[in-house]
Formats: sequence, structure tokens, C-alpha cells
Amino acid sequence: MLVNDKYIIQKKNITVEFFYTELKSKFGLKLLSRKVGFDRLITDKNLHRPGLALAGFVELFSFNRVQVFGNSEIKYLNSLKLKERIKSLKTIFNFEIPCIIFTENNKPSKECIELANRKKVPLFGMSYQTTKCNYFLSDFLDDQFSPRISLHGSFVDVYGVGMMFIGKSGIGKSEVALDLVERGHRLVADDVVIFTKKGEGIIIGSGTDLVKHFMEVRGIGIIDVRGMFGVRSIRFQKRLEIIIELEIWDDNANYTRTGLERQTVDLMGIDIPYVKLPILPGKNLTVVSEIIALNYLLKHYGYDAAKVLKSRLTKKIKKKTEEVKRVVDYFEHDFE
Amino acid sequence: MLEVKVKILNNAGLHTRPAATIVKLAAKYIADFFIYKDGFMVNGKSIIGVMTLAAEKGSELTLNFNGEDEQEASREIVDFFNRGFDEV
Repeated sequence: MLVNDKYIIQKKNITVEFFYTELKSKFGLKLLSRKVGFDRLITDKNLHRPGLALAGFVELFSFNRVQVFGNSEIKYLNSLKLKERIKSLKTIFNFEIPCIIFTENNKPSKECIELANRKKVPLFGMSYQTTKCNYFLSDFLDDQFSPRISLHGSFVDVYGVGMMFIGKSGIGKSEVALDLVERGHRLVADDVVIFTKKGEGIIIGSGTDLVKHFMEVRGIGIIDVRGMFGVRSIRFQKRLEIIIELEIWDDNANYTRTGLERQTVDLMGIDIPYVKLPILPGKNLTVVSEIIALNYLLKHYGYDAAKVLKSRLTKKIKKKTEEVKRVVDYFEHDFE
Repeated sequence: MLEVKVKILNNAGLHTRPAATIVKLAAKYIADFFIYKDGFMVNGKSIIGVMTLAAEKGSELTLNFNGEDEQEASREIVDFFNRGFDEV
């Protein structure tokens, strides 16, 4: 309903150059060969340890992945005589591999660098242990290749719950967000929010680098929430937990009364709790939003008010008591 | 629903002034108005959204109109794009 799958953006590849410039500052990736093959494309988010390929077994060799040389690959290569080592390296350099990473400050041998320069395959080094490298690289590539989508609305952290307000233009999403910020909650982004699928079941939202925490308030113009309310009023990213759709009260719509049924919407294959909130005179959307967040937290920690009242009612019906009883049946001379 | 492809014609690109004009034009109509650039979607009735596109000269946008007065809305807005935001 609210998202057309057509508009999910997903990178098909990244260049080795992009990979290098991003990771140079993040994880201290160093270039160990000449600056060759930077236009090569990384098309797979997975990594590969080419131990078996070095040993000569190249069936099912995932050559299109980033290749990681850990201690075992280096030890194996060093155990070979020069001729065999060159032969072993040639086996994998004959494939179109995007690049090779040497972990734990391991250095490629002279023959390896020569071959790499000739075949135009860049070699990189990292100082971390192989498992850590794998973790950092996988996380980075996973993020690069993950599906993302931009949605129109206001994204706010309310009591630690990521709430996305959607609805027609001019219905008051920004105003609700501003009101929430005024009450001490934190704005993630207004207007254009980019949601990224992270792993299975998690969606993270953030603003765009141009707009950051600027927003438009109709009739006033553009304001900077960070400049106005300070750093405590913003955050840069937040997990999406609830989508709230604001709409003008519709007599024919079916608004939930008990809250027993859990409505969700599908966003990039993940079900996100969804609340349709009608706008009515006298209704304070900010407070209602806070209540939705608190109720979500209570449910998250195992207390569902609607279910509790439901089971109380069932019990009472079974007992067949006729009259409606007060919560206190004797006032104990307390006439206050 | 109506989809129209347009190109940015003026040298300065889709900067603040034309962005403001576009959202003002769009606000006159009931029809929903979305702009797509390289798969990225923004609401054409929001100034922040339109500015986010940072569309430079020559870039191609897809305008999407949806609603009862989509014909009129598209005519006026597409015309504004084709005039190069009156800056050509």
C-alpha cells in the first residue's frame, strides 16, 4: 500500500575505488599494490577465503567476491617453493577477482605484488585479525548492497521507539514532530527519510546528508531543529518500530477500539506495526503518539493492556456475578 | 495516475527559487505529486523534499501525478519545467 516495490533502490555493484576510499578512513585499509584495477566491480556482499583455490581446487571458486588472505593462506603460500607458489597464485589471478585483502598486517610476497600489478588486481592490507576484518568488511558490504527506500514523512524517536509519521501533504506531520521535539523527544529526519534494510527483520531510518535536521513549517518556512533545540533534540539514525498514518477522520474507516488486533504494513519484506490515527478536534496527537510509544514498550516487555482486560472480562463472565462492583468495596472511614 | 519525464534545462539546476515555485504550484491541486530521480522518491509538495533532489542541469526526473485534477496539475508543472523555470 504505502510503498511500491518499484522504488526500492538496491546497488548492484560498487567499484573497488569506492570500497577503498570508504574503508581507508573507517578501518585503515592500506593499498599494497600499485593503484591498478580500481575500476573493478564488487558484485557480491560475501567474502571469500581462497584457501582451496590456492591449493588448486577451483571448482565452485567464488572468484567474484572480495578475497581475504588470512594467516592460513599466507602460511600455506610460504610453505611452497617459489615455483609452486607462483603457480598457486597464478591459479587465482587467472580469475576476474575484484581485489585481495591481507589481514593482520600480513604482507604479500614480491611475486604476488608483481602478478597483481600485471593482472591489475589491487591488493589491500588491514591490521585487524581475520575474524574482525571479516566482520567489518561484511558489515560494510552488507550495508552497501542492502535495499533502501525513501519515504515522505517525519521520523522521531519517542521514548526510544522509532516512529514514522506518514500522511498527506499538509496534514501536520512536521507539526507533530516539532511538538514531540519540544517535549524532549528526538528528531531523526523530517520530510525525506531513507530507510535501509539491515539484516533480517530490521529497518534503520536516517535523513539525507543535505537536509539533516532542517524542516519546513508551513507558514514559517525552513527551520533548523538542531540549531534551535540543541543536540539533545536530534539523532542521526533510528530503528523503525511503528508507522503512524495521520488522516482526516473518515466515517467509513475502521479504527481499532480494543487494540487486540495488531495491524502491520510490509516495508521491504518486513512487517512493521502500523497505526492509523484519525485527526479530530480536541485530539492532541503528540500525547496520543507518546501513548502509542509507551504502549508499544509495555507490550514489548510483556504487558498488553488490551489482553489483560480481555482475560479479566472472561474470568468475570465465568464467575457469573450480576452486579458491577466498585474497585474498592469498603472505604474504611476514608472520606477524603 | 499520470507519469511525465522532464529534464532540467536551466544552468543553476533545481535550486531554492524554482523548488519553492514548484511546491506552490503543486499545493493548488488535490492530486498527489511525487518526483523520482534515480529511483529516489520525494513528495513534490514539500520544499525540503524537492530541494533534497539537488537536481543539476541535464538531470532527468519523473513526475508522478495522482488524483482527480492530475491533468491540470501536470500541465502547469510540466510547463514550468519545460520553460527552464523561466531562467533560460
